[in-house]
Amino acid sequence: MQPYMSVKNVSHVYPNGVTAIKDINLDIYEGEVVAILGSNGSGKTTLVKHFNGLLTPTKGEITVGGLNTKKEKISKLSSLVGYVFQNPNHQTFLPSVRKELEYGCTNLKMSESEIEERVNKAIELFELEDRLDDNPFDLNSSQRKEVAMASIMAVSPRVIVLDEPTTGQDHKGCKRVLDLVRMFKEHGHIVVLITHDMHLIGELNCRTVVMNQSKKIADDQADVVFSHKGVMEEAGLQPPQITSFANQLSNLDANKTYLTIDSILSWIKENKPNEEKKEEAVQIGSGS
Amino acid sequence: MNSLYLPKDSLIHSLDPRTKMIFVAFVVASSFIMNDPALQLLLLVSLFPLVVIAKLVKPYLISIQFLLLFAVLIMTVHGIYNPIGVTPVFEIFGGLTFKYESMVYASVMSFRILVIGTGAVLFVMTTHPSDMASALVKWKVPHSFAFILLSTFQIIPIIAREAKIVMEAQQARCLDVKGNIIQRVKNLVPMFAPLFIITFMKVHQLSYVLECRAFSRKGNKTSLRETNIGSLDYSFLLGMLAVLVFEIYLKLFMMGSFQWTTDALLTYSLIGTWVVCGFMLVKFLVKRFQGKFGGVN
Repeated sequence: MQPYMSVKNVSHVYPNGVTAIKDINLDIYEGEVVAILGSNGSGKTTLVKHFNGLLTPTKGEITVGGLNTKKEKISKLSSLVGYVFQNPNHQTFLPSVRKELEYGCTNLKMSESEIEERVNKAIELFELEDRLDDNPFDLNSSQRKEVAMASIMAVSPRVIVLDEPTTGQDHKGCKRVLDLVRMFKEHGHIVVLITHDMHLIGELNCRTVVMNQSKKIADDQADVVFSHKGVMEEAGLQPPQITSFANQLSNLDANKTYLTIDSILSWIKENKPNEEKKEEAVQIGSGS
Repeated sequence: MNSLYLPKDSLIHSLDPRTKMIFVAFVVASSFIMNDPALQLLLLVSLFPLVVIAKLVKPYLISIQFLLLFAVLIMTVHGIYNPIGVTPVFEIFGGLTFKYESMVYASVMSFRILVIGTGAVLFVMTTHPSDMASALVKWKVPHSFAFILLSTFQIIPIIAREAKIVMEAQQARCLDVKGNIIQRVKNLVPMFAPLFIITFMKVHQLSYVLECRAFSRKGNKTSLRETNIGSLDYSFLLGMLAVLVFEIYLKLFMMGSFQWTTDALLTYSLIGTWVVCGFMLVKFLVKRFQGKFGGVN
């Protein structure tokens, strides 16, 4: 299958001489959810800024939907790759939510009926019907973040990049992000996530790319990456608590990584002929 | 530290900020005392060794480029169109004549801009903002005023960084920033609206942070960076005083001029600024072209 987005041998050196990413190879296919993990300063943001042409590689090549990012305008690429910035305040500035949603489409000089259609779709997707006339700055931070996301989605890009979507969000906000990512996937979008939220990745169990010191050090399904002790330690990552817990349960399937509470519960249910055996199963660390 | 300050090990850097502040005042004063193109030029040329001593030649030249653009505009436009001119000096195509009096006026103006710019650049690039604040406090300037000045210096690079992020964020919303002039003017709204809001938020936050650290406490404050006036400062001040006395003498008894201002000097300085500007333009175009060329590869 042809990848939708393909990063070939890409390096980026900033004008001040700092090498932010080095020899990155990455193919992203239709319908994928890709999480990019790594400590601060490992090059995650630099990498994704290449996807919509905000940065162009100093070495190597990136193609998005068959277009070379070096040759295309950022505005054109942005209609294919939507980038939601970490701080919605950088992105929102219009007096009402509806105008905010229309803004991207008007930049692309779409016809009025098309704008209407796309905005309505975004409103429906994000359930923003009640807030259309509110000023984005009157909303709370998780709602504002949602408006920023919706304004990007109104352009209906193929790929949506979320830069630390759960940072500074309450539990409800995080849950909403999780639901939204699942919904984007259902609607056939490619989702690229930059995050430090291991719980989120555990819930999604998506493809996970780990970056460390400007290089890609792992690229696999989340459960595989989380079970790889060397990679996790090198990148300074801590798997979700439930995974660490499961790893210490002696009787669990050693070849499987448990990412969520549900997965462990279902294992316990499967392996429960009687009550005594269940207790034995949950003995912590007895065999290790 | 985020500021225009460039730390180097030089004599100018080690001067007390107060000396340098007096120096800036001195440069401004003398550029106004000397109403003569030749002397202004002399002043400009004699400031250059100080830039060399401060080891700031390259950053100085970069920052002075913009002022040079002003100088070229003033020299050309005033030289031709200023109504005070009567004596023609030379004619370029189309019957446009540069006239002596207006050229004198224009070159005094533009050299003054360059001289003051040079003085200011020397001060800003060689003085740590905190040093300047503590020096001001020693001059009995209220601490909060000194801080206002200090934070102004420090907030410029922060705003610049935020502006870059906002621009990227708007580009991610399909804003075409490389359009024509009208398009670019329209783009100012999506650029500046978020930038203003963010800056206000930041300043608001800063005020809380300062209060949390007892900023408004009454009484004297100590400074981490101590500045002292030494023998170097005194000799520098003496030198400035000597030049200033000489300038005033010149103004009072020699009509403020050595009578060096000739047609040739004016013409050469005009053409000189043209040539330098031409170089800048060529350099800019070459860079532009290389960028485009590199982009295709």
